[in-house]
Amino acid sequence: MSVLRRRPFSALFLVLLVALLGWIWQEREALWAFPDIISAYTAKEYCSCRYVMNNEAGYCHSYVKQWLPTSSFVDDPVSKRVTVSGMGRSNSAVWMGERQGCRLQ
Amino acid sequence: MFKGLSLIVMLLLSLPAHAENWPAEQWSTGPVITGPALQALETYAFPPRDDSTRTGVRTDALLVIRDGQLIYERYAGPTTADTPHLTWSISKSLMATVLGVAYGEGLFKLQDPVQTFYPPMKKHPDVTMADLLHWASGLDWQEDYEYAPLKSSVVAMLYTRGHQDMAAFTAEHAEYAKPGQAFRYSSGDSGLLAAALKTIVGPKRYPDYPWTALFDPLGIHHAVWETDATGVFVASSYAYLTARDLARVGLLMARDGRWQGRQLLPEDWVAFNRQPFAHYKAHQDDAVPGGQWWLNRAVDGAAQPWPDAPADTYAALGHWGQAMYVIPSENLVIVRYGDDRDESYQHNELLKLALKAFAQKVQP
Repeated sequence: MSVLRRRPFSALFLVLLVALLGWIWQEREALWAFPDIISAYTAKEYCSCRYVMNNEAGYCHSYVKQWLPTSSFVDDPVSKRVTVSGMGRSNSAVWMGERQGCRLQ
Repeated sequence: MFKGLSLIVMLLLSLPAHAENWPAEQWSTGPVITGPALQALETYAFPPRDDSTRTGVRTDALLVIRDGQLIYERYAGPTTADTPHLTWSISKSLMATVLGVAYGEGLFKLQDPVQTFYPPMKKHPDVTMADLLHWASGLDWQEDYEYAPLKSSVVAMLYTRGHQDMAAFTAEHAEYAKPGQAFRYSSGDSGLLAAALKTIVGPKRYPDYPWTALFDPLGIHHAVWETDATGVFVASSYAYLTARDLARVGLLMARDGRWQGRQLLPEDWVAFNRQPFAHYKAHQDDAVPGGQWWLNRAVDGAAQPWPDAPADTYAALGHWGQAMYVIPSENLVIVRYGDDRDESYQHNELLKLALKAFAQKVQP
């Protein structure tokens, strides 16, 4: 108790830090996967917009736009492969065929 | 002479009442509708579209079938009559319809445990096919798309941890309620149905089954259904159909599973689709869940979700405003595709205006 009285702010900080670390440990899988969302989402839904729904490239770019930024975007129309990077991760989606549409790799 | 003529006139008059319209290669068209009621509908469904802000009602396609004939269609944005549009969660109702054909083949029963067909569900041995169809597996699933990306099971399933094997990802979830006892909308439950179907029809027939069972018999030629890396259809989200083709499924449902001379879905299957889930609590969702379809029924002391539409209205609904409404009492099927990025679009408003424009009977 004396620590609490002498250094109340440090003690509070320590408690919060422990709680935060506990939360990070508990959510480690979701937190690790989180940065993949924006590049995976953009690659997959752009691929389907472009090659399944056959919409124009310009429209599909605005269609997949989200509040998180992406850093690079490559659409190879020959292999119908869309590769997107963002938040330090990269993901690709590929058009598989007439019935199967696009799949996230 | 006069008697004979009047008989012919009577015959001619009675013909349209008895002849049943079905689409052939194309839909036949019915009487062209015009007037202020249609104008009001179009003003609501097709306001000026702003692709930079993406606000407001953003209809991509609106199509109406009455008595088996196309009486209205209009497209906007990049969508045309030939666009296989993403249906998002309408896919769930489509997978239920595909399952209905397998059910008609006698390949499974509603009370069969899912683990019989999908072994990873041995962790949840008491979950039945009916429970999945009701979104009542009891699995602790989180269905937020954009607003809780960290905790969202559906985002993880489609884009990150689950995307290679979506059903396995779902089966890993813990249980929060006893199976069959509580409703919680779950793309995971719908995905498990697609995984179970693989064993139900066998891995040989499975890759073509949605086509051989449903799309081909209905004359749907341009359906796309994406799979995960294990080849299981993404039943929760990724079927693509033109508005005209989706309406064929609507007509099949409106006619209790019959397509021309053939009972493609057993009548008791369609009845199950349209039966409210018994343990649904008022206001848990925007409409009342049946068997992978949404019902306009007054249950658990709450009013009908869409008060301006008949009580027999039911629908397949998807993210960003995708909808197909089936109104058997009005012989109406309405397909509405959209790209709604906010909450402006309201089912009841669309239904109210569409009924004013297209219904032949007097509205309640």
